Amino acid sequence: MPMLKIYRYISTLLISLTAATALSQTTEENIAEKAKALPDTLTAAQKEKKSAFISGAAVSVDMCGLMMKLMNSRFANMEASARLNFKEKYFPVFELGIGDCTREGEENNNVFSTTAPYFRVGMDYNFNKKHNGNRFFGGVRYAFSTFNYDFENPDFMDEAWGVHTPLVLDDVKGKAQWAEIVIGVETKLWSIIRLGYNVRYKMRIKQSGNEWGDPWYIPGFGRNGGSGWGGTVNLTFDVGKTARKNKTNLKI
Amino acid sequence: MRRIPILLLSCLALLGACDQADCTLDNSVTYTCNFYAEGSKVTLNDIITVTACGTDSVLVNQKQGATGIELPMSYWNEEDTLVLRIQGSGYTMEDTIWIKKNNIPHFESPDCPTKMFHLITDVNSTHTFIDSLSLVNPNVNYADVENIQIHFHAAD
Repeated sequence: MPMLKIYRYISTLLISLTAATALSQTTEENIAEKAKALPDTLTAAQKEKKSAFISGAAVSVDMCGLMMKLMNSRFANMEASARLNFKEKYFPVFELGIGDCTREGEENNNVFSTTAPYFRVGMDYNFNKKHNGNRFFGGVRYAFSTFNYDFENPDFMDEAWGVHTPLVLDDVKGKAQWAEIVIGVETKLWSIIRLGYNVRYKMRIKQSGNEWGDPWYIPGFGRNGGSGWGGTVNLTFDVGKTARKNKTNLKI
Repeated sequence: MRRIPILLLSCLALLGACDQADCTLDNSVTYTCNFYAEGSKVTLNDIITVTACGTDSVLVNQKQGATGIELPMSYWNEEDTLVLRIQGSGYTMEDTIWIKKNNIPHFESPDCPTKMFHLITDVNSTHTFIDSLSLVNPNVNYADVENIQIHFHAAD
């Protein structure tokens, strides 16, 4: 019996040692495998980060136009935009807005008015190479608007013939195309919310005139002329990989 | 966040800038009729008076030594009828001119005066002292150009 107990202890010890060795080897192998796999995983993530073609998407609203409308400005361009984020560098953008204008003459009773949509397509380029949530944009836009406008002169007087007949022109058709050069900045406020503003130099390319005169205001362009300045203050909701990446970075 | 109001105000100031009237200074819309005789421009030594039918307005009042006259057009009529009266020493003659036209409202800005441009389509007259009329430039606008040539009968 004592010999049997001794054999049992020896067998148990051997089995335990073997198991422990095997377990340790397995653990070491796993650790080694994980250690090997970790750089591969990181490399893949880095590769994914570097090679992701579409890094996100965003929609924006222009607060400047809304404020101008609320303040009863002579005209206001109220617009929203949608854009994609390619590699955090290229941002193709589509902008849709409604231009609204009611302009009364300062020294007469003339009234010009129009409310019509306008469209812009273009591309922004982010000059900030650091992925720190800030973006410095430069970009171009092609824009166009097809609109109707009204013009009234209630005091239209033919003095030579002594005839007073109010001049009322309704639904005069107008078209305009223009290009814009845009520079702007944008920063992350909180989570997916970003705030930015931009300044735009607008160059009219073409307008379809009529024999009555050019419109005083072009929706999206502003006061009619060969060129002009504008800008927007954008509240942006940025979704996609860029936003998720920023969250991950914050946890680390 | 404290910069947001500054950004918005800057934006509004930018968009509100340069909002000023830029009206055409020479904004009288008249058409010019010059006098011709035997193909050459002449000076009319008689006194000429031009009145418009359908109104009491005197468009040209006893002008003497003129080489031509500048006349306003009616804003809404499709045809203007003018009476040209010439007074010389011991004689008075009258001719009537009919000018058919299209009326084209023209505006530049709500701050600027609204005007009526015209496109002359036809001219005719009686032939007491007027031999013929030539339509040189049918567009009546701000441009200071000759529109109609009034050819007088050759002196006997």
